[in-house]
Amino acid sequence: MTSRNSSSARPKDSPGRFRRYLFRLLWSVVLLAVLLVVYRCIWVDRKIRRDFQALQWALPARIYSRPVELFAGVHMNADDLVDYLQRLGYRRTAKVDRSGEYKVGGGHVVLRSRGFQFWDGAEPEVYADLTINGHRVSKVQDADGADIQLLRLEPVEIEQINPSTGEDRMPVTLADIPKTLITAVVAVEDQRFYTHHGIDPKGIARAMWANLRAGGIVQGGSTLTQQLIKNLYLDKEQTLRRKIEEAVMALSLELHFSKDDILTAYFNEIFLGQDGKRAIHGFALASQYYFARPLNELRLDEMALLAGIGRGATYYNPLRYPQRAVDRRNVVLGRMHDLGEISDKDYETALKTKLQVREKIVNRNGYPSFMQLVYDNLKRDYDKDALRTQGLNIFTTLDVTMQSKMEDRLDDAVARVERDARKGNPLEAAVVITDANTGEVRALAGGRKRGYSGFNRALNAVRPIGSLVKPAVYLTALESKQFNLASVLADQEIELKQPNGEVWKPQNYEREADGDVYFYDALQRSLNLATLDLGLKIGVDKVKQTLTRLGYTGDAQPYPSFLLGAVDMTPLDVAQIYQTLASSGFRSPLRAVEAVTTADGKPLAFYSIETKQVADPAAVWLLEHALQGVFERGTAKSVAPALRAHMPLAGKTGTTNDLRDSWFAGYGNDLVGVVWLGHDDNQETGLTGAAGALQVWSTLMQAFDVEPRQVPAPESIKFDQVPLTPTHNGAQRDCSATQSLPFLADAMPDVAISCEVNDSFFGRVIDRFKGLLK
Amino acid sequence: MTARLLGVVTVAMLVLTGCATNVPARREPPPAPAPVIHAPVPAPVVIVPKPEPTPSLPPPVAEEPAPLPPTPDKPAPATPVTSLLASVQAAVAAGKLDQGAALSERALRISPRDAQLWYQLALIRARQNRIDDAAGAAKRALSLAAKDPILLQQINALLQELAAKGATNSGK
Repeated sequence: MTSRNSSSARPKDSPGRFRRYLFRLLWSVVLLAVLLVVYRCIWVDRKIRRDFQALQWALPARIYSRPVELFAGVHMNADDLVDYLQRLGYRRTAKVDRSGEYKVGGGHVVLRSRGFQFWDGAEPEVYADLTINGHRVSKVQDADGADIQLLRLEPVEIEQINPSTGEDRMPVTLADIPKTLITAVVAVEDQRFYTHHGIDPKGIARAMWANLRAGGIVQGGSTLTQQLIKNLYLDKEQTLRRKIEEAVMALSLELHFSKDDILTAYFNEIFLGQDGKRAIHGFALASQYYFARPLNELRLDEMALLAGIGRGATYYNPLRYPQRAVDRRNVVLGRMHDLGEISDKDYETALKTKLQVREKIVNRNGYPSFMQLVYDNLKRDYDKDALRTQGLNIFTTLDVTMQSKMEDRLDDAVARVERDARKGNPLEAAVVITDANTGEVRALAGGRKRGYSGFNRALNAVRPIGSLVKPAVYLTALESKQFNLASVLADQEIELKQPNGEVWKPQNYEREADGDVYFYDALQRSLNLATLDLGLKIGVDKVKQTLTRLGYTGDAQPYPSFLLGAVDMTPLDVAQIYQTLASSGFRSPLRAVEAVTTADGKPLAFYSIETKQVADPAAVWLLEHALQGVFERGTAKSVAPALRAHMPLAGKTGTTNDLRDSWFAGYGNDLVGVVWLGHDDNQETGLTGAAGALQVWSTLMQAFDVEPRQVPAPESIKFDQVPLTPTHNGAQRDCSATQSLPFLADAMPDVAISCEVNDSFFGRVIDRFKGLLK
Repeated sequence: MTARLLGVVTVAMLVLTGCATNVPARREPPPAPAPVIHAPVPAPVVIVPKPEPTPSLPPPVAEEPAPLPPTPDKPAPATPVTSLLASVQAAVAAGKLDQGAALSERALRISPRDAQLWYQLALIRARQNRIDDAAGAAKRALSLAAKDPILLQQINALLQELAAKGATNSGK
């Protein structure tokens, strides 16, 4: 019944009911849609608020070079100083008014520094007039002519460790952004920025009209707020839905945040260029990238240019398309002028100004060899994530001028000594330059080519060191006090049974045995047989212990061949050992990092100078006396004329079996340098240490203007006369030709050998007895 | 007669002593400038003035002949090192030991053979209870302070104090 009734009622009521049903359905759908939209808006609103409040960019770590210190007396010539200022992006002017400017002439360099937050304190902005005489700064004065004791320039930023997004930026506050730049950006991008609420209907209409008339897209109607949203959410989608969502986001942003907040975010966020894998975001970084100068040093024309390229950073890239960039700049200037933001005169001047992008792209290849050492030093304390996101400032020991001088010369210097320049197997090189006193690494080359980034031979090529080990043999002997520089060694042929039963018959490089030789002479001429004689007397174990004290960390077997350099090391290991010798027996671990600070400059870690006495300074002083003779009359005398202005220097050649490795390690007062030459496949080089590495070392040390080695003699050193010709036998002593040699007071030469003034045997005995009583 | 006998015996003893071993002796250095710096013997080497302008540090450091004339009547002129040293002392007085150490290291980079600077660094490390680092720096100061008896005394006192605290960096 019911069913029938209802079925009979249906045709009658059907249209009205259906309509009502449809209406209700429609209404529900609309309601649902509205609810969805509202929900979406609320969601977007909340998201925007949350995201924007917590807006924190992942900031790359910045790696800085060693800063230049200027004071009266510092070793620095005008060319090197100007080169450094150019690396910092200083502008050469006729008159120095603003920070980041300098002028040169008449033996003076005048500059106004920028100031910098270092790990040990802030360095203020300083005006300084430097008088430079040749290789030294003789005076540093301020504008009133008063002496400035010490001035530290900013460090050069040598690299960044970028976030995985590849984005790099230098966040700034609104106060750091020049007003003119803000005016320029507002003028060209969004004239009604201060009055609209996130979207600008008038602007959209105007843009549409302009585009319609031009028959293509010539103008955008997006406000700065919309552009910021687009950049923040990195979405290139151009759908209507996306546009609407962007508009909602823009409105929401304007609702909750001030114009200043939005502007600050815009200036830090906007994409302004691509540098290889690194994306340049924000105006502060763009200023550094294109002009190598901070924002506050930019001229009107430069600000207009930066303001203009935001529209299409790749298209208007001033480094690649200077004309496009200048045209765009002029549009911005025109807009500013039309709006009355700049005077006619400023407008005309800026319009006529030639585009001046950074003077040179300083070291496009970066410093891959050195950076590897930096990573090695840092990995103990920082993981990759911290380096990529926290904006750490990492202060290194790299001397950019020295590194660049080395890279300018290394390839040619190696080519000059290369015997057989076969293709596919070039002679390779590694160089380590350290500060002679603190163990800081100043320059590093992992290969002979500039900016080479492959296998880092300086850190990783483990090679036998040949005669570079000999100073450890002689130092052990001197420390034992059983030997002194005038001890007579037997340079004679010897046969040694090796652990495997084979007989080893070592030879001198010249193949001839010299007979009786003085201790110092055997070292200077690098005589193998005399060294074996000495080393076997004092014990190979003891020599190995000495080498370990000096910095060797390996575990080579103490066979007799150890005494002639059958011990493998990297150039960096060798540098550590010679560093200890140059520091008079104090070992300081080699370092590439000085300190780390947080993004806002607070010190986080100091990698301080460590020093530990590991050898007797007086014995090291004696050893060095002999090592200086290497240049004067020993294996390095071929470079003495070229290095005349830098002598005395101390050093040692090293050559390995079949001339596979050519080494030289040496030092002056300020620097230690180690050079290795060889083939990656261990083929023969045809070069001794003297014919190869020494020549390269000499070229580099001249370029670095290495300081002569002058270490005062310790109190315990006494001088004595000994015959020129060595003899074991006092009766055959020939005192007609003598030489003065230094000795430890408690290891003087045998009385029978000495030629001291009172030339009778008894007289000498009495002299010595008197000396003891004193 | 007895006196002559005594003389002969003495000489004989001296001979024996002289022959027995490589007798240690203290002698005057030769007249040449050789003992002062490492230089090719016998020719004296013309010395290029050192880069570090530290002629007037409070306690003069064992250096080669000072390139500047002495100015005994006037107060020591300020140098980069003395001005840094003042900052070091100010930082230490304010309890900022890390900063003090960093500043003394900055000074050491400018004048690395300055015994006073190494000593200051040693003092700071000692206050930071970095005993071995302190001992290393103090030893370095000691090796450079040869001509300054007061500083030598101070360094030795510090080293004794550090040894009592168990410093291991007391030699080889």
